Amino acid sequence: MIPIEKAYILLSIALFLVGLLGVIIRKNLITMLVSTEIMLNGVNLALVTVDRYLGKVDGQIFTLFVLTVAAAEVAVGLGLVVSIFRLKGYEGSSETVHLRD
Amino acid sequence: MEWLIFFILGAWALLSALGAVFVKSPVHSILFFLSTVLATAGLFLSLGAELIAGLQLIIYAVAIIVFYVLVITTIPWEKVKRFEGFYKKELAVGLPIILLVFILMGSFIVRGNLAQPLPEKLDSVRDVGKTLFTSYLFPFEVASVILLVAMIGAIILGRKEE
Repeated sequence: MIPIEKAYILLSIALFLVGLLGVIIRKNLITMLVSTEIMLNGVNLALVTVDRYLGKVDGQIFTLFVLTVAAAEVAVGLGLVVSIFRLKGYEGSSETVHLRD
Repeated sequence: MEWLIFFILGAWALLSALGAVFVKSPVHSILFFLSTVLATAGLFLSLGAELIAGLQLIIYAVAIIVFYVLVITTIPWEKVKRFEGFYKKELAVGLPIILLVFILMGSFIVRGNLAQPLPEKLDSVRDVGKTLFTSYLFPFEVASVILLVAMIGAIILGRKEE
């Protein structure tokens, strides 16, 4: 039987990869942002798990910083989505190609 | 008992994350993400990180989800309809790669050794506060500057063009 911390770390890897799959396959920009939030949740779970195993609190402090960065990312990212929509009139990830040409 | 909580909450979190990725409508995707956040807060509680569980509920489940829903209400809906769902070709390429990466990392995790734990256990909330305001005081201040910059950037981005 593996220790329960390894099971938690496996779960956090699964959450991160599900979020990565969402970033790759989704069409809508807003749901791509939701998938990045799922990835951040997986990272938080891994940090807190290692923290409990080692009996320290540094991982929880890094989780606090990840929460801060997630809030900032949501504010700026959704502002970008709304302004892309207002300027161009769409929000599909396949049409946001201004940097390519 | 610990394993029972882990299996229930872990299956809940994983299933709702898969739902958030694969469901068609953006609003349903956000509600599935809310369910993931609740399950993750339960996992944090079971790991003994009460402060992080509470902050997860306050920041994610209240602030971020409500912000997403408010932004969706400002976008005209019939134009978004064209971009529901996901790309089939990217799914066919991405899913085997994701599964392969999970099997590789999982086998490394299962066969490897974790680091040696410290003998003493810390009391969670009090020691988080003590460490945050002593060893991590400078990153804490930098985080407040990041929030200020993000606020100014969001205001500038969301302004109407003259």
